Amino acid sequence: MTRLSGGLIDRSRTLRFSFNGQALTGHPGDTLASALMANGVLLVGRSFKYHRPRGIFTAGSEEPNALVEIGSGARAEPNTRATVVELFDGLQARSQNHVGSLKRDLLAVNDWFSPFFAAGFYYKTFMWPQKFWEKFYEPAIRHAAGLGRLSGEPDPDAYDKGFLHCDLLVIGGGAAGLAAALTAARTGARVILADEDFRLGGRFLAETHPLDDAPATDWIAGAEAELSSLPNLRIMRRTTVYGVFDSGVYGALERVSDHLPGPAKLRQTLWRITARRAVLAAGATERHIPFANNDRPGVMLAGALRAYANRYAVAPAERVAIFTNNDDGHRTALDLLGKDVAVAGVIDSRAGAQAQGDYPLFAGATVTDSKGRHGLRAVEVTANGRAEWLDCGALGVSGGWNPNVHLASHHRGRPVWDEAAQVFLPPPDGPEGLFVAGAAAGHGSTAAALRSGAEAARDALAGLGLDVSLPDLPRTEDAGLNLHPLWHVPGKGRAWVDFQNDVTVKDIALSYLENMRPVEHLKRWTTLGMATDQGKTANVTALAVMAELTGQTIPQTGTTIFRPPYTPVALSALGGGDNGGHFKPRRLTPTHQWAAAQGAVFVEVGQWMRAQYFPRAGESHWRETVDREVLATRKGVGICDVTTLGKVDVQGADAGEFLNRVYANAMGSLKVGMVRYGLMLREDGVVWDDGTCARLADTHYVVTTTTANAGTIYRHMEFCRQCLWPELDVQLISTTDAWAQIAVAGPNARRLLERIVDGFDLSNEAFPFMACASLTICGGLRARLFRISFSGELAYEIAVPARYGNALMARLVEIGADLGATPYGTEALGVMRIEKGHAAGNELNGQTTAQMLGLGRMVSTKKDSIGAVMSRREGLASERRVLVGLEPVDPARPVVAGAHLFADGAEQNTDTDQGWITSGAHSPHLGHAIGLGFLDNGAARMGEMIVAANPLQGQTVKVRVTSPHFIDPEGERLRA
Amino acid sequence: MPDRVHDLSPLPATGGAAPATARHGALTLTENDGLALASLALRRGGAQPAPFGLTLPGPGGWAAQGEISAFWTGPDQWMIEGHRLAGMDFAARVAAEASGASVTEQTDGFAAFEIRSSAGEAPILALLAKLVNIDPANLASGRAARTGLHHMSVFVIRRAPDHLAVAGMRSAAGTLWHVLETAVARLDAAAA
Repeated sequence: MTRLSGGLIDRSRTLRFSFNGQALTGHPGDTLASALMANGVLLVGRSFKYHRPRGIFTAGSEEPNALVEIGSGARAEPNTRATVVELFDGLQARSQNHVGSLKRDLLAVNDWFSPFFAAGFYYKTFMWPQKFWEKFYEPAIRHAAGLGRLSGEPDPDAYDKGFLHCDLLVIGGGAAGLAAALTAARTGARVILADEDFRLGGRFLAETHPLDDAPATDWIAGAEAELSSLPNLRIMRRTTVYGVFDSGVYGALERVSDHLPGPAKLRQTLWRITARRAVLAAGATERHIPFANNDRPGVMLAGALRAYANRYAVAPAERVAIFTNNDDGHRTALDLLGKDVAVAGVIDSRAGAQAQGDYPLFAGATVTDSKGRHGLRAVEVTANGRAEWLDCGALGVSGGWNPNVHLASHHRGRPVWDEAAQVFLPPPDGPEGLFVAGAAAGHGSTAAALRSGAEAARDALAGLGLDVSLPDLPRTEDAGLNLHPLWHVPGKGRAWVDFQNDVTVKDIALSYLENMRPVEHLKRWTTLGMATDQGKTANVTALAVMAELTGQTIPQTGTTIFRPPYTPVALSALGGGDNGGHFKPRRLTPTHQWAAAQGAVFVEVGQWMRAQYFPRAGESHWRETVDREVLATRKGVGICDVTTLGKVDVQGADAGEFLNRVYANAMGSLKVGMVRYGLMLREDGVVWDDGTCARLADTHYVVTTTTANAGTIYRHMEFCRQCLWPELDVQLISTTDAWAQIAVAGPNARRLLERIVDGFDLSNEAFPFMACASLTICGGLRARLFRISFSGELAYEIAVPARYGNALMARLVEIGADLGATPYGTEALGVMRIEKGHAAGNELNGQTTAQMLGLGRMVSTKKDSIGAVMSRREGLASERRVLVGLEPVDPARPVVAGAHLFADGAEQNTDTDQGWITSGAHSPHLGHAIGLGFLDNGAARMGEMIVAANPLQGQTVKVRVTSPHFIDPEGERLRA
Repeated sequence: MPDRVHDLSPLPATGGAAPATARHGALTLTENDGLALASLALRRGGAQPAPFGLTLPGPGGWAAQGEISAFWTGPDQWMIEGHRLAGMDFAARVAAEASGASVTEQTDGFAAFEIRSSAGEAPILALLAKLVNIDPANLASGRAARTGLHHMSVFVIRRAPDHLAVAGMRSAAGTLWHVLETAVARLDAAAA
């Protein structure tokens, strides 16, 4: 097929592209679909189930058939609608869903077996033998069905997100949208005009009728020029508003560079637009009229045929016919004649139809069949019981226009049936602040669309207190459709309703017979309206067919409800752009650079990256490294970054009282310069978090939390301060990141610190266990020192402003070499706390009480605190499981966290379960495995031999119950 | 007054030898390693001080005077900024200027990035739209807000029409730098 005259393509430039490897050309302004058509390519794909040859059906985003794969390698994008792909130089497109060539698809055999693929076939077939389903039937069906294939590789393109705010969002840049944008922008209101097309104008671009006696493109150019000159208006082309969300938030996908050759720096942007008001001017989608074998390439929507001729200067065939039930079909015939395309005839189902031009008219006739293997060759026209074949290479079908009400029902408003116009109109209870205009509101003529767009903008802005005057609008056509409903042509053959999902009138009839009559059931039984087009060209017709079968009206039969997205949105775009290492924030400790330089192995702890262990040359296994770090700490001095523990600065006259209420134990009585271990309970009395609390001054405390709960405890404390006890004078702020905190533990800890403090007395008398102080180090750097121990050794934690943490770490290791200074990571930290019997996240799992931890007395009865009363309720107070230590009877056996505890010789089931192991580790100090766990009546069972069962690994280990303090139970080391 | 001279070297939040900096088109992005921060919260019933003679701004506000500036962070709460004062005990200086108030050192709680435009406010507005869900009309010069950015809590401060500052938690400085640098570079690519 050669090009027609006119059109909105730039013939001065030629673009090269390929389809299934065949080199073709087109022009700027073309879509892939129009360029394919201009090259005589009508067969572009195979259908979903039956692998029937399929062509281009529409000229817009509603396209059900012309789905192709664009690009190659990791950039290959399946299921792309050729009708919305803007042609660019070097574009590579391939057809999909066929085995062998597109013309000789081996799976076309499915079409012969179509009786087996009727509605609900996969619910009924392949039922036996049952075990064949997973291994054979399902993979086979999945292979045969479906459309495109994903590349299976990570998406290499860049995606972005953004946020926009406006007074009025105008969705759609056709007649109504342009009128709305002009009306609103002239008031000075902040307006965004978004359109999915690459060119503003909507249906104007596809039509020939003049505006004020001039071509519509002249008027659009004037409007665009004015809009572009207004700083308060933002035009967003290639942008689909795909969803309406709560509180005036609209989702929009901008295809930034999909129309450009080669990989771009940014492919798409997902915008979240907060609009005070919006005008939906999304236009209308033409509907077709199902007849037997209506799915051949060349059978198209009549309005699309017109769009291809007028906008893209191309027709699918030299001789075309029109099948219509309204006047709009005749308009297509006239426009095609105007482009010198032969019109074989207009088949009008209305008995009294009149020809509006020089073409054969078949009034009161219908199309009852078609011929042509890979493309239409002829249609059968039946009138008054007489059938004749009419040769034509394409058929335009016009069954009326469905308003694009989709976004108006995203908040579950149901579209309303207009019996006179035979269309669903937008629901009256649509999203708040959304006004519908133009063809989307049923105002289909150009004059009505312009008028309603301007009025919608006026009404929308009136709610914002803006006085709006309506603009002068151009004179133009104001014709109605004079539609006489014809929803399908009855007959024996298969008449497709939903092309994308291969749903026919027969499938709907079968659904009816099988009592799948409500539209929701119809949809699931037949897959109607699913997949990429979401039934834009099928749903209303299917409803009407079902209504006919049930003898009900269309609104009685039901309505379809629409959900976002309006058109497909790539997950990469929804993901917001960042993936891999940048998918979520990554927090680094102040000593990260130093640790990385030492070759530390890091572990993710929430968002933090912490040094897990520091392997040295010659160490072949992580255990070897960890054992060395533990022993070096217990023998000399170990150094560990513990910055990740949460820190909350608490000040105010009532700081002590506030902490008394937040902590289960008393903090108000803590002496200045001292630290106390504290326990926080949840409201329900279960232990929430633990840590230390230091009193730096009379009205100044520093609370530490576990790493995991740093955020939630700070938030909880703010809630207590602001909402529970606003009368207290207390001020809070997080200082977790502000201070680098480094644990220095081991018998040589004091000697090491003496080398950096500025004349500070570290003796046991001056600075005893659980003391804290502000001081300076290294010749004047402000620091905080806490004598606390997680390892059970003589230990301190020293804090400096975070920027100095890295240098301090390096300094300590360097000047402590003779003292055996050894950096250790979270693994050694974990081993040492288990050896010492300190509870951590494994024990504080949200199910344990203070009593279970052996800390029941910490819940003070002299004061009230959050969770105190609830901790004494019977269900918790009667809890008998308590924390114990466990060691294997055979020192070679492991102690596995998660294993459950049973009496030796007892049957092992939930009734005999006596507890579980929370933590397990190899203790290099003891030379065998140890563990912590909660055991029924554990305190009274020291020395008893019990069984740890790990059925997941078929493991049963005899363990002996011990004190949880495997090392220095009297605490002499830490007080040394 | 600076701290007594100690011998530990500070490390910029982004971890390099020097503060990070990048320029793409009209926008320059700089890690502000010299920014000292101290939170100031009034004690219950306490009078509002005027530290360094600065009138503390109201809700959503940012005010500057010489090397000191401040932005509102909540009822009776502000963050006081000391420009090029990170090397000293800034919190102590603020505390001395606000007796009776609760002052907490925050300098290294945050990593701050300054974004300046050489082409007026338009690039700043375009960048804002890519970063945070705040209507630029509500973030005019002299305004500050706490908001979400790439799953992080940040302060955004409009120091001038052509000057934006973003401060986020110091430990995530690398992520914040990545997000800002990527956004700035993409704007430049889009403009090209």
